[in-house]
Amino acid sequence: MTKVVVIGSGFAGQTAALYLGSALGKRHDITVINKYDIFGYTPSWVWVGVGQMEPHKTTFALKPVYDKFHINFVHGAAQAIHVDDQYVVVNRADGGDELQVPYDYLIIATGARLNFAGTPGLGPHDGYTTSICSLPHAIDARDRFFEAIARMEKGERQKIVVGTGHPGATCQGAAFEYLTNIHKVLEKRGLRDKADLLWLSNEPTLGDFGVRGLRIKKQDKILTSEDFIKAIFDLYGIDWQVQTGVRRIEPGKIYWENYDGVEGKTDFDFAMLIPQFLGPGFTYFDKDGNDVTDKLANKGGFVLVDAIYGLDWDTLAETPEAWPAVYQNRHYKNIFAAGIAFAPPGSISRPFVNPNGLSITAAPPRTGMISGIIGRIVALNIIDLVKRGRMTHAERMTEMFAACIASMGDSLWDGSAATIIIYPVVPDPRTYPNEEGRDLFVTDMEMGLAGAWMKRMIHTTFMHKLQGRIGWKLIPE
Amino acid sequence: MTFEITPKDAKKMNNKLLQLWRFIMLNLKILKAVDHSKRA
Repeated sequence: MTKVVVIGSGFAGQTAALYLGSALGKRHDITVINKYDIFGYTPSWVWVGVGQMEPHKTTFALKPVYDKFHINFVHGAAQAIHVDDQYVVVNRADGGDELQVPYDYLIIATGARLNFAGTPGLGPHDGYTTSICSLPHAIDARDRFFEAIARMEKGERQKIVVGTGHPGATCQGAAFEYLTNIHKVLEKRGLRDKADLLWLSNEPTLGDFGVRGLRIKKQDKILTSEDFIKAIFDLYGIDWQVQTGVRRIEPGKIYWENYDGVEGKTDFDFAMLIPQFLGPGFTYFDKDGNDVTDKLANKGGFVLVDAIYGLDWDTLAETPEAWPAVYQNRHYKNIFAAGIAFAPPGSISRPFVNPNGLSITAAPPRTGMISGIIGRIVALNIIDLVKRGRMTHAERMTEMFAACIASMGDSLWDGSAATIIIYPVVPDPRTYPNEEGRDLFVTDMEMGLAGAWMKRMIHTTFMHKLQGRIGWKLIPE
Repeated sequence: MTFEITPKDAKKMNNKLLQLWRFIMLNLKILKAVDHSKRA
């Protein structure tokens, strides 16, 4: 009987767990370790954060789902991994004794560790800004947004700033969606003229989103994502400032540096800034108790996999095989990392270091669809290894498709959304020898009510899929 | 290319029939690309 352990129940971990439970659950030992006993549908926390969706509609209890799939559930936080003796040390959520959970195969799918401490004054706990990166944060953001609305209703003008809260942050798409939803809510309440909205980000250009932006053909002309997002911001009266790394926050003030090395500050009344994401940051021990973390994780705590690390950016941009295909650690081949937890070989967007030596570089996004696909690949490969002794599945981000839908208001009658389809996520200039390194037929972007329908449909179908309900395998990651 | 969203564009974005067509086409595009991914 083989023991497979999954750490994390996000998009990657939950997808992996369902495939593993479905294929192996009855005859083998599948265990999921997660610090929460609920699944949270992260994309809809944008709507929670503006009061457009009730929090409970974005969660479900994990144990009943795992029971259906013969999966053991350990409610607790993984702390360390003993890679030779093959067990995970877990602090139980109920405060009980520390657990040792043995494995033959391990999937690390912990998602992002939110590094608010990386920017002094950032975040809702010890700082002055809000976040939508967890459900409690999104609820807090909603409450503070409503307080700002109350001030506007009394006639006070409010400065609202949304974007990235660290020079190396990612997830610009979610922040963008939050800002456009704020715009729509204020418009519907007749308060839009009381608010100044600012997009503040570390992207090299508007519309970069950490994926180097995109260019498509529209009516025989080339349209860039920079043009597209600029048009949306012009339509909505949103100001924007890119090439900016936030350094610290004080009450009502955001201090930043830009590409030119200029230091500046921006006043705010309400701000939502995405923190830097770090990897799980586990400590790994060998059989003698030696710390072997450097064989499994980079400095950010992300898990090293079958990528080619250490290439300069220009070489990386020309080397699609530098991106991992099976997400397997090279030293410990029974350890895999899925979703945000794996260490990418570099950024997709061009990095930049300003004259002060500050790196202002958007980290590569690996959330949502990408996380789910990697979770499936890793699970299917472990199933292969258990049943046939070899892996048969592989997919790099230079081969992966992603659809990103940023809603602008949640109404199914007069709402809208920007739909961006990228193929592949990481440009591959060898397969697509054009300036973009992408399939120009599939890659697309548009805005309209159809996107709003897509976004709501995806919420419903993913909540259905990730609970392992009937037909779950038919719904694409 | 300088791109702006004109009032005519804004009307198209909310034209229910046109957006139903776009909804179908977007889903087909995604399903086609996902089918390639599932074979990986």
